[in-house]
Amino acid sequence: MSQQNSSAYSKEHSHERLQMIDTLKAPIIQMGRSLGYEVVENHDLGAGPVHIAWIFKPGSESMPDMRLGFICLTEFSNSSINEGIARAMLNLIDKLVFVVPSEAMTGKVKDAIESMPDKSILQLRKYVTVVTPSTLVSKSGIKGVHDRRSTQTEEVV
Amino acid sequence: MAQAVNLDALIDMGEGKGFKLERDVDYGAGPIDIVWNVNVHPALPNIKCGFVVLKAEEGGNQDTEDNQLSLRKIEEAAFRGIRSGLDKVYLVAENDDMAKSVSGKIEWLASHGSLIRLDAISLGLAPEQTEQAVVTPSQKRVPQGEKIRKQTMREREAKLEKYNRPKGERRRREHPLKKGIRESRVDRHSRPRNQKPKRT
Repeated sequence: MSQQNSSAYSKEHSHERLQMIDTLKAPIIQMGRSLGYEVVENHDLGAGPVHIAWIFKPGSESMPDMRLGFICLTEFSNSSINEGIARAMLNLIDKLVFVVPSEAMTGKVKDAIESMPDKSILQLRKYVTVVTPSTLVSKSGIKGVHDRRSTQTEEVV
Repeated sequence: MAQAVNLDALIDMGEGKGFKLERDVDYGAGPIDIVWNVNVHPALPNIKCGFVVLKAEEGGNQDTEDNQLSLRKIEEAAFRGIRSGLDKVYLVAENDDMAKSVSGKIEWLASHGSLIRLDAISLGLAPEQTEQAVVTPSQKRVPQGEKIRKQTMREREAKLEKYNRPKGERRRREHPLKKGIRESRVDRHSRPRNQKPKRT
């Protein structure tokens, strides 16, 4: 009886998790398409799926493709972070973005990544970015520091 | 049923070699079962070799029933070690077969040409393994592999030839003298009459 209950609970939990992943994925897919990138869902070369990959040529045809990978994390755990990084690196992703549901979780995941020993062979803070879907959307209309400076300079002149 | 991995052999070996040992440590990326701090020279920093036991903790034992562990678990454990700042991460499996399978999977993951050569950092190991754990490619293991294969094929064909015949028809080993006489007779009788060699 209790086994049945636990299996039903785990099924429900995994269903909820999948639903949340879909919710987190949707704006990223839309944004990638609107920016004109090739968007691949569940990009997998054998190491396990990367939820979304944006693939694009950085300027010239002679340059290799760049792959920006997005992995959605529904809950914080070191094992899910390890697994996500492993999947991204082994699937030839050039930069990884962890998409998390809340700002509170962003802080936790960032801390976990930055808490790596300094002597480590991998400096993951240079490879991994952590965002929430709202961060991605809300920042799209804001000008960068350089743009703002140039505008200010024009005003002064 | 999954067995508990006994790490005493690794602990004894590390202590026997005079390495500084750490047990059940967590540097912030998940638990590492054993760390050997190998001091190669006083002027050089220690080399950290970590051992992570691969368990079938998720979803019961189905992961180890056919002596295999999932790629997911292998990747996670290897990156746990890398994120913990270890120089080498050895993934400890229950037995030799499973360790070989883990090493094979690591080789396969590394073969995609990723930024990180997983096979240079990580390896599958059984706790009481005595033989070389590094997977040697067959070209190196068998330098004259082709010749050996052909020889084996010939031997197999000879066996088939011998045992596929009915018992009464099996060719018995013939004395070389008798064989010579028989072959010379066959040769003489198979030629046209005017070309037959004269008897001496």
